[in-house]
Amino acid sequence: MTDTKSDPGSNVDPKLLEILVCPLTKGPLRYDPAAGELISDRAGLAYPIRDGIPIMLVDEARPLDSDPITDALPPR
Amino acid sequence: MTDADTMTVFDRRLHRRRRDRSAPTWTQFDFLFRDVAERLDERLDDIRRRFPVALDLSCRGGALGAHLRRRPGLTTLYGCELSPALARQAAATGCYDAVVAADEEALPFGTAGLDLIISNLGLHWTNDLPGALIQACHALRPDGFFLAAMFGGDSLIELRHCLMDAEIAVLGGVSPRISPFAGVRDAGALLQRAGFALPVVDSDTLTVTYDNPFRLFADLRGMGETNSVLDRRKVPAPRALFVEAARLYAERYAGPDGRIPATVQVIYLAGWAPHASQQRPLKPGSAQFRLEDALNPAAVPGSRPGSDV
Repeated sequence: MTDTKSDPGSNVDPKLLEILVCPLTKGPLRYDPAAGELISDRAGLAYPIRDGIPIMLVDEARPLDSDPITDALPPR
Repeated sequence: MTDADTMTVFDRRLHRRRRDRSAPTWTQFDFLFRDVAERLDERLDDIRRRFPVALDLSCRGGALGAHLRRRPGLTTLYGCELSPALARQAAATGCYDAVVAADEEALPFGTAGLDLIISNLGLHWTNDLPGALIQACHALRPDGFFLAAMFGGDSLIELRHCLMDAEIAVLGGVSPRISPFAGVRDAGALLQRAGFALPVVDSDTLTVTYDNPFRLFADLRGMGETNSVLDRRKVPAPRALFVEAARLYAERYAGPDGRIPATVQVIYLAGWAPHASQQRPLKPGSAQFRLEDALNPAAVPGSRPGSDV
């Protein structure tokens, strides 16, 4: 699939945001509309939102201490 | 999952890739999922309760979405799918308010936010099924309902035998080629262990017939259901293995019309998130009346001291 990076500005259902938690810590998530990411501070991970679909998979998440620009490039 | 208690049977990453790969042609191969979606929908008809907020867990391309969307009383329907590619397809059906890509073993839903969790043939690839059920139970509101259809132990029994015998003949040994599936009795115990009240388990056996075994193989691939057992033989299987398995399959099982059957056992697991209003057994020893009096009203009460429960 080609759309490996988050698309900023993609809309997420606000009601969904109320019930979503980090799958790893079950802790709260912070929505960053500019980056199109859901951020789990406790896990130190940012989960991308692609085509309006939150990708709540730990191995697809960006570690928070890494640079979002280089990380947004497709791996491989 | 790194938990040492969890037995790791399946390669979840590989299974996700298989599901991803099934996405482009999904609607050509989803007949089983559509069929079971209808059966799940009928089961919900038997329940008078309404479920405003529902989650379709392992929704794949969204076979269940249209059924759930039509249910009276439903206000919000979410989809959850391991494969982002399939999740996009489910979202494109327009039946869901939102779809998330998530692992059934690590659900991203907070405590007590959902009234219904329903799963259409998605949980049989989980390594940690007890963990997945516990998380589902937590995500339900008290008195919320859980209903899942899973492939059961008798599924693909013909193929299992043929592949085993073919592998012995061609490669001189056996490796796991068909998933270990849960049995009906295990499923009931799992529901109880996960904390569900009033658990009910039953099963249906469907028979799908094919022109030849290669059609069955193609269907399994199309469904993203090919071997993802972690312990599988890592070298690609020689074509001769499948040719031999297909030959055995046709020889042993073909009907008078030459078509071959494939057994699919579907186990249905149902349970409720615990709530004070649910009936439950009284504590042993708390009975107010003697059973003997009820069975034999003529007996003199207290005639057998010490026997009252």
